[in-house]
Amino acid sequence: MIKIAPAELKIIAQYIHAISGIYLDQSKSYLFETRLSSIAEANGCKSYQELCVKSKRDATKKLERQIVDAISTNETLFFRDKGPFELLQHKILPEVIDARSAKSSLRVPIKIWSAASSTGQELYSIAIVAKELLKNASNYSLTLLGTDISDSAVTQASYGKYNKFEIERGLDRKFLQKYFSLVGDSWKIKDEIRAMVRFKKLNLMLPFSALGKFDIIFCRNVAIYFTLEDRKKLFNKLADSLADDGYLVIGSTESLTGVCPRFVPKRHLRSIFYQKK
Amino acid sequence: MLNLSILVVDDDPVIRRLLEQRLKKANHSVHVAEDGYVAEKLLEQNTYNVVLTDLMMPGEIGGIEVLEIAKELNHQTEVVLITAHSSIDTAVEAMKKGANDYLEKPINFDELFLRLEKIANMQSILESARDLQEAFTATENQAASTIQNLEIQTAHLQETLDTVEGLMRNEEITDDEKVLQAIDIITR
Ligand SMILES: C[S@@+](CC[C@H](N)C(=O)[O-])C[C@H]1O[C@@H](n2cnc3c(N)ncnc32)[C@H](O)[C@@H]1O
Repeated sequence: MIKIAPAELKIIAQYIHAISGIYLDQSKSYLFETRLSSIAEANGCKSYQELCVKSKRDATKKLERQIVDAISTNETLFFRDKGPFELLQHKILPEVIDARSAKSSLRVPIKIWSAASSTGQELYSIAIVAKELLKNASNYSLTLLGTDISDSAVTQASYGKYNKFEIERGLDRKFLQKYFSLVGDSWKIKDEIRAMVRFKKLNLMLPFSALGKFDIIFCRNVAIYFTLEDRKKLFNKLADSLADDGYLVIGSTESLTGVCPRFVPKRHLRSIFYQKK
Repeated sequence: MLNLSILVVDDDPVIRRLLEQRLKKANHSVHVAEDGYVAEKLLEQNTYNVVLTDLMMPGEIGGIEVLEIAKELNHQTEVVLITAHSSIDTAVEAMKKGANDYLEKPINFDELFLRLEKIANMQSILESARDLQEAFTATENQAASTIQNLEIQTAHLQETLDTVEGLMRNEEITDDEKVLQAIDIITR
């Protein structure tokens, strides 16, 4: 493993922040080493500084993608924290449907965004809840979008295939049997759910107003890697991207106090969600 | 070394007894089965860290089937196969089905104990990972409920502050009235 020189730490931390918004504490040199060493070696770099220089010069951005993949923490699971999905099922979706049905006599449009979808478990959990709730799906025009900065995460999400360890975490047996099929020793999401969702690459540090407005946004466990400044900017942009009566769900240990005064927290049973003031 | 609970499956009574004695002496807890059928029963009734099974046994349930049953019932159970040199290809196939390792006959006990030690180490690492995961989940849940309560309380306080501020800026009422109303808002 290539050792990181103290003088390099700042350069690399800044570079990673610039390409991903992820802020890594410079005291965690082992983190850079364990995650970037093999990339550096594979690209013939003798130091991390050299890796940064090479990556900046690489017009194809291939190296940058590899660095982002390695540095981002893709930890996620199906129905993570449970609460938000009960919230979705019992409160948010029914309310959005009521509000939208009143306006439109045709198919009711509902747009949901998983803003850091990682390997897809969050958006598929949302899709399963929607599928279970909206028995008559043809009455609705559902848009379920998942985005993430990590190419490899987006690829796995799009593929919808999970190994037995990923599958065992959080997923009820009844949903496993109903919505997944065994392929070799992995499980693949069935087409009826896969067809409901779309994944694409997106860096939340960049503008995203082109995605349009959403009724429901899940932005969970990603802002924790950002600085307070970046978090403020992010949630401000999310407020712009949320319908006036839309719903925002953040990670169970995250807080918007001192981050974005445009959102008000509301409690439902054991969970909270946010709406615009 | 961690004590393991081990199931020995072998149709040869001499090997069975030998394994049982040596493993017990090393402080492992041991059950024995003389064929696949008995093994299946025991696997259904108990949880084992390790199943040590002969590959070739008479009857429908051979070593491969014991492996499949053990893994099906509890994928954390490690299976080590005991095999004659002539059936090494089958043993390699079994590794692909999830066997941890195989040992050639005649059994070299140093080798066996080395394997068991590796398995014990791995299982104790897995155990601490599970403990850590559980401790983390408990902490996370606790933190989540604290944060969510604070989040709601802070929002209420902010609302109160905003109302009082509006009141203070109101030029149509007297200062005395402002104080009275402010106290009313704050203590509501
Ligand atoms: C810990 S996962 C959270 C996944 C899921 N939302 C959950 O709560 O289970 C964090 C994800 O954020 C992604 N990420 C990090 N920085 C990002 C950025 N600037 N833009 C978009 N996604 C980012 C990572 O690639 C990773 O997949």
